[in-house]
Amino acid sequence: MWWGDQARADLTNQMFKLYEEKHPNIKIVGETSPFDGYFDKLNTLLASGSAPDIFALGSNIPDYVSKNVVLDLTPYVGKGLDVSNVPASLIDFNTVDGKMYGVTTGGNARAFAVNTSVLEKAGIDVPNESWTWDDFAQINGRVTQKLGKGYYGSYDPSGSYEEFETWLKQRGKVIYDNEQKKLGFQPADAAEWFQMWSDMRKSGAIVTAEEQVTSGTDASKSLITQGKVAMLVIPSNQLASYQKMTQDKLILLPYPNGPQGNGLAVQSGASIVGYAKTEHAQEVASLMDFWLNDPEAIKILGTNRGVPASTKMIDVLRADASAEDQIIYDYLDLIGKNTNVKATINIPGYNEFAQLLMTASQQVAFGKTSIQDAVNPFYEQAQKVLDINLKTAQ
Amino acid sequence: MRKNVTGYMFLLPWLIGFLCLAVGPIMASLYLSFTDYNLLERPVWSGWNNYRNIFTKDGSFTHSLGLTFKYVLLSVPLRLVFALAIAMVLNKGLKMLGIYRTIYYIPSLLGGSVAIAEVWKAIFAGNGIFNRFLSTFNIHAPDWISNPFYLIYSIIALSVWQFGSSMVIFLAGLKQIPNEIYEASNVDGVGKLRQFFQITLPLLSPVLFFNLVMNIISSFQVFTPGVVIGDGRGGPLQSTLFYALYLYQQGFSYFNMGYASALAWIMLVIIGIFTMVVFGTQKYWVFYGDEKGGKK
Repeated sequence: MWWGDQARADLTNQMFKLYEEKHPNIKIVGETSPFDGYFDKLNTLLASGSAPDIFALGSNIPDYVSKNVVLDLTPYVGKGLDVSNVPASLIDFNTVDGKMYGVTTGGNARAFAVNTSVLEKAGIDVPNESWTWDDFAQINGRVTQKLGKGYYGSYDPSGSYEEFETWLKQRGKVIYDNEQKKLGFQPADAAEWFQMWSDMRKSGAIVTAEEQVTSGTDASKSLITQGKVAMLVIPSNQLASYQKMTQDKLILLPYPNGPQGNGLAVQSGASIVGYAKTEHAQEVASLMDFWLNDPEAIKILGTNRGVPASTKMIDVLRADASAEDQIIYDYLDLIGKNTNVKATINIPGYNEFAQLLMTASQQVAFGKTSIQDAVNPFYEQAQKVLDINLKTAQ
Repeated sequence: MRKNVTGYMFLLPWLIGFLCLAVGPIMASLYLSFTDYNLLERPVWSGWNNYRNIFTKDGSFTHSLGLTFKYVLLSVPLRLVFALAIAMVLNKGLKMLGIYRTIYYIPSLLGGSVAIAEVWKAIFAGNGIFNRFLSTFNIHAPDWISNPFYLIYSIIALSVWQFGSSMVIFLAGLKQIPNEIYEASNVDGVGKLRQFFQITLPLLSPVLFFNLVMNIISSFQVFTPGVVIGDGRGGPLQSTLFYALYLYQQGFSYFNMGYASALAWIMLVIIGIFTMVVFGTQKYWVFYGDEKGGKK
């Protein structure tokens, strides 16, 4: 079972048919669901003991491992599951306490999608990867100035877990420090983060709070494809979906640089894991191996979930890649050069924490409370959530 | 005796379903409310912990309860007023009464669904049809969907729009009021307004009572509009965090099923209290025609 739209479902099922042809005694039934509600559905299936043999997870693998519902794949590595072409960072991502639990089905990195036509109209040069947050703020301000009401420089990612964490990493901090088992940032960091976005929001350089709610995360409504907003944070694999909806040329840019660079790393956008109680563990490993390493399978799936985990497979796809996919590959090469960025795992209690962060960001955005009054309760509650989840994970 | 057995046999399918699919899970949830249960591992007994935490440490509980109260207090009276008003209009013996009745009832059938909620979301969005209509009169309305301060009103509007089921019941009640009473009062020179308050309302009061209780109970459980019209997680800014949604979140998103079960039982008690209070006030305003004496 995986999340995604109909297009992804069609590709995945096509791949399954190919596998079934090569393994005539194995039948695969695929199940899909939109991302919203996927985890509720998965949790219910897990609770009732009828989860699928393989299902997709994102960066929340540790949460599920701690609840003993994920199959340990380590025994199958090298014995039916070949991960020799997968970069170490992607293997680490799927490893908890030294055991490998998942296989990356799509690598990506956070990126700013930039509508170059909007920048052109505003008479601004397209920045390159050495830009800073000051450049970012300036560009946003000028877009609004030059193009007027209804035009904004950027969307507002202040409520998003991944974006906040990237900014923290630029300062040598993280959201969750797994070694010391505590929060890796201070309330003052959150306050600085919200302040930065608040200043831009007040000057009209980034979208209004309401607009962010309306179209901030919905590709079909996004103003970036309507030429009204210049920049939006996306996971790199979604570039093609956005580009399809506009004639304007979209490119990918890394985050503006902070004190320690741009803080980005190639991540596992989605992984597949095995169900701990599956009766077909060897077949699970076999299908995962196929998904990872079979060139025909990779050709069918393309970059729909992101870039293939295996470097050999990347080369297979790169040969006939479309223009947008080339942009994505080049972008990931660029990000891959960041060797000093530490891999992190998600905070236990990720769902709750992400909700707290989003609420705090909206409190500031809608002017409901001052930044300090939003940050302090946020930090306190985040601490509580972490404590509760650490306790139950023992 | 044989008659009873036949009766019970017919009852049996429903009874089995009721016991296994309703009573069983309800009792299970009572048990779970005293445990820590993360859905994927065995429940661990934790006594009154969940209840204690809910009442002393949970700001979201208070917030969602308050929000749900606000929703109930605004949507139930409004819905009943509309239902009664339209029922009275339809009662005047229009030629195509049947058709009108169906038309007004349809929103009730469709209303709670995800599809309608999506449509509602599109209509009342910042640049949706409703606001564009208002702007032709130079009224600059707020964004009913993305603005957390105004969202609740579009959801209340959706609820009121589904007045059809209450209306049909009012219509039936109105039809039971004998015309002679109105005619007699007309002869006595009673005005329309007094007729409404002294004749219609008292004679309609059992129906009103029924509608009130049913609407209160169902309104407290509001869920679908909150999830679909809001951002699915109670936002923006917790403005759609209705009690039922908060409960769902705790259970399925945060893996706190024991806590969610406790929340469910608290809601049961609250609805029970409201219902008992309304029942208790019956004797002051509900007039059953077969009693001696009238409204106190």
